[in-house]
Amino acid sequence: MASEPDASEISAVFERMVRNRDLTLFLPFIFGLSNAASRREGEDSSPENENEESAQRERIILINPFTQGMVVIDGASSLEALLRDFGRGKGGRPPASKESIDALPCFKIEEGDEGECVICLEEWEAGGEVKEMPCKHKFHPNCVEKWLGIHGSCPVCRYEMPIDEETGKKRDEEDGEERRRRIGREVWVSFSFNGEGRRNENSNQAPSDDSNDS
Amino acid sequence: MIDFSRVQKELVECGKDVEGSGIKLNIKGDSLARLIGSIPGPIGTPYEGGIFKIDITIPDGYPFEPPKMQFTTKVWHPNISSQSGAICLDILKDQWSPALTLKTALLSVQALLSSPEPDDPQDAVVAQQYLKDYQTFVGTARYWTETFAKASSLGIEDKVKKLAEMGFPEAQARSALDAVGGDENLALERLCS
Repeated sequence: MASEPDASEISAVFERMVRNRDLTLFLPFIFGLSNAASRREGEDSSPENENEESAQRERIILINPFTQGMVVIDGASSLEALLRDFGRGKGGRPPASKESIDALPCFKIEEGDEGECVICLEEWEAGGEVKEMPCKHKFHPNCVEKWLGIHGSCPVCRYEMPIDEETGKKRDEEDGEERRRRIGREVWVSFSFNGEGRRNENSNQAPSDDSNDS
Repeated sequence: MIDFSRVQKELVECGKDVEGSGIKLNIKGDSLARLIGSIPGPIGTPYEGGIFKIDITIPDGYPFEPPKMQFTTKVWHPNISSQSGAICLDILKDQWSPALTLKTALLSVQALLSSPEPDDPQDAVVAQQYLKDYQTFVGTARYWTETFAKASSLGIEDKVKKLAEMGFPEAQARSALDAVGGDENLALERLCS
């Protein structure tokens, strides 16, 4: 029983992955890991991957016995990281810029002010401080600063705070690069289990954008 | 670190309005990080009459990160995996906001039961059926509700007796059943944990 939630969690991630990438027939069932030592020869790979990372490269193999499909994903640093990648998708609004967070006005809570901070659900305490967003929603300074540092929108009405263009862009680039590096290459193979010999469509080409190395 | 005081407050708040909302939250083990939610199937839908259990895991970053929710009751719905119970709902992903609570999230899941979005499916097979053969979809969804989401016909006394026969003290069996809303399997799980 104890392992069940984990298994279903993984299968949920796979389902999302299948959906996001429109591979409706491919629901991987068994996955195995093998490390760089077993890397096959004769497949071209981008030079930078080859040089820098061959020592720690891993390979993830997903097999679906129903469609008799198999995918080999090279360059994933760990299965967990890969799953996290697939699960991540769009990340919501990027963090608000530091200046815009710092610029939010602070107020003292007066005696008789009613209400609560919807982030921590603590009621206002007279004498305490609140920060007010441009949309007039108020929160504890710590609570709202933490949230805006993750997503730059009002928790209540989704009013959008200015985001730091520079960091936002850099973050995107880093993300993209890391993904590309991690998923160095996918090899799709389809084979048959019945003794009629092997059909091997080793295309060395990924069906997704992730691995289109520039 | 999970904000347990917030989770605790949410449990109390939700408990106050079980009659009104029909939404229940129970602690699964001895930690507030694992909960079980239950929602009644919306009236006028193929899910009517069913009680749907949802496994909830509170991540470390809660409430800055969404709770993880997954149906443990099998359900036939385009946005819920018929295999794993995974839910495709934006507020449980990138549209999460800390102003939402476990209760409002469960209410959103309940609303999702009323209004499927087959164009953004979690379960492609169900979504295809929904779009191409709506009558069959309704039939299947209703059948699944009857089969998986209805409490067994045993009364609470029968269940207590059954658990007592398994060797659990009667009082303990009763309070376990009470805590999980009468579901004998969940009660058993609780007694064993």
